[in-house]
Amino acid sequence: MRMIELVDVSRSYGGLTKVAALSNINLTIGAGERVAVMGPSGSGKSTFLNLVCGLDQPTAGTILIDGVDIGILDDDSRTRLRRERIGMIFQTFNLLPTLTAIENVALPLRLNGMSRRVAEPRAVAMLKRVGLGGRLDHRPDQLSGGERQRMAIARALIFEPPLLLADEPTGNLDSQTGDEILDLLDQLHGELNMTILLVTHNEEAIRFCDRLVRLRDGRVVNDEKMERGR
Amino acid sequence: MIGALGQVTFQQWRAHRLRTLLTIIGISLGVAVLFAVRTANVTLLSSLTLTVEKLAGKATLQVVGDEGGFPESVCETVKDVPGVHVAQPVIEVLANTAFADEGTLLIVGVDMLGDRELREYQFDEEGSEIADPLVALAQPDSILVSRTFADKYDLEDGDKLPLYTSQGRREFVVRGIFKPEGIGKVFDGQIAVMDVFNAQYVFNRGRNIDRIDLMNEADVDVDQLAKRIRAAIPGGIEVTPPTARGEGIEKAVSAMRIGMLIASFIALLVGVFIIFNTFNIAVNQRWKEIGVLRAIGVERRNVQLMFLAESVMMGMIGSLLGIALGYLLAVGAERLMSEVAAKIFSYVATQQPPVFRWDYAITSFALGTVTSLIGAWLPSRAATNLDPALALHNIETRQREAVLGRGRLLLGLALIATGLLCVAFAPLRVSLDYQFVYPLLMLSGLILVLPKMAELVARILRPFLDRLFGTEAVLAVESMIQSPRRTTATVGALMIGLSFVFSTASYVQSYQRTVSQWMGRFINADLIISTSEMARSRTYHFSEELGRQIAAIPGIKRVENVRFLFMPYAEDSIAVVSFEMDGWFARVNDPIDVGDSNEARQQLLAGKGILASRNLTTRYGLSIGDTITLQTPTRPFQLPIVGIIDDYTSEKGSIFFDRKLYLDYWRDSSVDMIDVNLEDSLRQDPAGAVLVRDRIQQVLRGQHRAFIYTNTEYRKWVLDLIDGFFVINYMQTAVAVVIAALGIVNTLIISVTERRREIGVLRAVGGLRRQIGRMVLLEATIMAIVGVISGTLAGMMNTLFLVRTAASMVGGFTLPFHFPISLIIIALPLTILVSLLAAWWPARKAVNLNVVDAIGYE
Ligand SMILES: Nc1ncnc2c1ncn2[C@@H]1O[C@H](COP(=O)(O)OP(=O)(O)OP(=O)(O)O)[C@@H](O)[C@H]1O
Ligand SMILES: [Mg+2]
Repeated sequence: MRMIELVDVSRSYGGLTKVAALSNINLTIGAGERVAVMGPSGSGKSTFLNLVCGLDQPTAGTILIDGVDIGILDDDSRTRLRRERIGMIFQTFNLLPTLTAIENVALPLRLNGMSRRVAEPRAVAMLKRVGLGGRLDHRPDQLSGGERQRMAIARALIFEPPLLLADEPTGNLDSQTGDEILDLLDQLHGELNMTILLVTHNEEAIRFCDRLVRLRDGRVVNDEKMERGR
Repeated sequence: MIGALGQVTFQQWRAHRLRTLLTIIGISLGVAVLFAVRTANVTLLSSLTLTVEKLAGKATLQVVGDEGGFPESVCETVKDVPGVHVAQPVIEVLANTAFADEGTLLIVGVDMLGDRELREYQFDEEGSEIADPLVALAQPDSILVSRTFADKYDLEDGDKLPLYTSQGRREFVVRGIFKPEGIGKVFDGQIAVMDVFNAQYVFNRGRNIDRIDLMNEADVDVDQLAKRIRAAIPGGIEVTPPTARGEGIEKAVSAMRIGMLIASFIALLVGVFIIFNTFNIAVNQRWKEIGVLRAIGVERRNVQLMFLAESVMMGMIGSLLGIALGYLLAVGAERLMSEVAAKIFSYVATQQPPVFRWDYAITSFALGTVTSLIGAWLPSRAATNLDPALALHNIETRQREAVLGRGRLLLGLALIATGLLCVAFAPLRVSLDYQFVYPLLMLSGLILVLPKMAELVARILRPFLDRLFGTEAVLAVESMIQSPRRTTATVGALMIGLSFVFSTASYVQSYQRTVSQWMGRFINADLIISTSEMARSRTYHFSEELGRQIAAIPGIKRVENVRFLFMPYAEDSIAVVSFEMDGWFARVNDPIDVGDSNEARQQLLAGKGILASRNLTTRYGLSIGDTITLQTPTRPFQLPIVGIIDDYTSEKGSIFFDRKLYLDYWRDSSVDMIDVNLEDSLRQDPAGAVLVRDRIQQVLRGQHRAFIYTNTEYRKWVLDLIDGFFVINYMQTAVAVVIAALGIVNTLIISVTERRREIGVLRAVGGLRRQIGRMVLLEATIMAIVGVISGTLAGMMNTLFLVRTAASMVGGFTLPFHFPISLIIIALPLTILVSLLAAWWPARKAVNLNVVDAIGYE
């Protein structure tokens, strides 16, 4: 089962002096696979994730998610795809400061038109799953970095999506907290078996993936299967 | 360092062009409104005075009577006073032509034999066959007109000019056209000259004249001469240089001026608030930038300096633009005011470009700049005190804006309470300028408690909106609650704007209600015929003959003549109304509110007493038995008050007595209004009044310019007049609302920019474009709702001030409180609509946000 398929994908920026953030990427990622994406700063890792989730469009090539060409979808369909079938977590958490943990996690459900009464119990369940059962009514600024990332993970997985994109999720955390987050992701993968694309600089993180893709200057320079280290 | 900071500022302006623009527009509108109102005010006065001066010609002194005029014999007395070189009688009437448009024409009656020594008439020689047009005036049908007027109606020497006069329609022959210079410029050239004795006749002045224009002999001191003349003529007739007459006119139009004073006060308040608000928002938005600057080592002092310098710059640019814009606005405002002055007070203005007063320009400029400075100072201080580390942190740790403390809330409530107590209990002797403090106290208090109020309303609305609109509504509510400063600034502007709309409307409605009830009691003629579409004319009257003519029309039982004029009293003037009291008493049951009805009735009918309005007795501390003294053309009029009535004829106070007394004391048979009573059979018939009105119209058509109203029509028309009188206030409040709408655009744009990242995140986790758009629009809607609610509260407080304090200051009466619920019900959707329109551009901006950029690391 192919979860993600990139065919000759390029993304370049700028007008006259073109910067190629990604050039001619061909990559296939199967369902349930856990892929670590590494590379030096500016090599195109974030661009890659943005293309996969449909926030950004390639300048050339085709991207298929679950067999669907997202290039031909309109903005609304792409947004719905992202809402229900792709979870995203970021280095800077990107939670909404004005909302409580429950509200933040319930947000994608609510955006889907679900009523508060239905959405919030689901959010509570998901928060319990990531270990935030005691922080339900806290706002992001009342929580530690690790707890915020857990909240972000809960939000990303509220629809139990088949695909999770993580852009340096441990980048803002100390190594111990970072490890806890990786453990949580590992545990959740065991339960939900989603495909994970994990952009990271953290060598620790590689150990929990089964494939490593290395980018440099917008090209794939290395793509290897890995033994599960743990 | 300063250069570098200047560059930062400049880059900010460039990057946020729209915000900069809106800030500057906000400042300019605030300054413009203030400057325009003040400029229009002085321009009006100066153009009214200009008219007086131009009409006065070379006269160094004028002998001026009250509205009824004085006997022409006074002119002979004045001529005999040693030191008088020439003395000429004058009559001025604002009449209407009998051309299709019934245009207004200022008619000056002069004695052509001597007048040339006083006034220069520059006649158009071209094509004129008349050797000396002034001599030609001796022919009783002669009239001289200005070139401007002649061109407008295509008139030449020898052509006929039909006029409505007190004797009916008269045709005059143009026997001279003077150039549009000097006197020819007055009232934009709508001016004509005729023989004074002829004018006396056709305008029913009897043997009275309005004025004597005189010149002293070369070696005589004008002040001394004035004294000598005063000693020689009856009391009550003024002797003043023409230049000093502006003051008197100013007093006559004072009701309008007080309206303008209130309006300019509103303008000031709105202007100050807008400017403050604009900066408050703009600086608040940039706390992150402040964090960066602080982090890279810019001292607190310098950061603040940067903001202050920026605010002063914007303040100065905005103020300059505002003064320019205000000058333009003044043209329109002045035109409107001079129309009111001509229609209501029969004072004609001579159009001129707005008077540019440097002191007004400088104060407006200073006000704009200083307010900008203060507006920027408070928030920039708060911002620079911010911990730079916190300011730089990512969105989750963004310091929540200082939650508004209990102290602030208590202070706000205390201010409101103080204002309300002042309105309720403060003595009215204090000058109006100080009384303005009360609404100011209440408004400041409301602004202080507004954040709490906004939060409360938002929290109450949250579950409803949640159910209706889902999570977008929750996000909108939260965004409002979390930024009390930003929200308060916008909602506050809306509140102030709306409160003025509501309270003006409410004042007008309360006034109309009261007047309506009062008319129900006292206005009981079946038909009322008036000389002017504005209740009465100061200079144009009917003759008694007209009443006789009307009385002969079938279906009419009785006709009563009413004379209505203003007379000087104390330092001000009062309305003097005389009519045939027996008929009135027969129809009105128990009209007297204070005093013995029967006794009063007898005294009044016998001409031994007068009725006084309650606002008159309140204002001058009079009661039953006190006498009122007026100077009349024959002898002092001195009669006791035998009854007091609640009456709203004039805000200056009124007295009423029998017409016989007036004829006797004033020797003036003019009529301002004719009350018509129908035969009983026609009174029963609902269509009777209209039927007779049509008959009267038939008789008067083409002969008299008269306004005939049935009782119902008359009452409605009076209420409309009240509305018209407040038109300038309505314009003011409209400007306030426009400014408030600008504030919404500004706030929402800032809200969207500030929440770029949040909106990006929303899009990233699956928010559709339209959901984002709806969120912004909902925020605008909630602000509108909070604005209407707080505006209603503020409006009620303002209304209390107006109906109680202001009304009794201006008119000597208090009005019952009446709040325009229907207007609020209309205002809510309208305000929401305006807010939605204002939110359209920010919403678009939010919808088209580049998500990748927004959630990036910036
Ligand atoms: N909006 C943009 N405009 C122009 N160039 C861009 C833009 N976004 C990214 N780039 C360029 O594309 C390249 C890839 O950027 P990308 O953010 O994908 O790198 P990255 O691998 O995520 O780096 P990092 O590890 O620092 O996050 C970089 O050279 C960057 O300068
Ligand atoms: Mg990156």
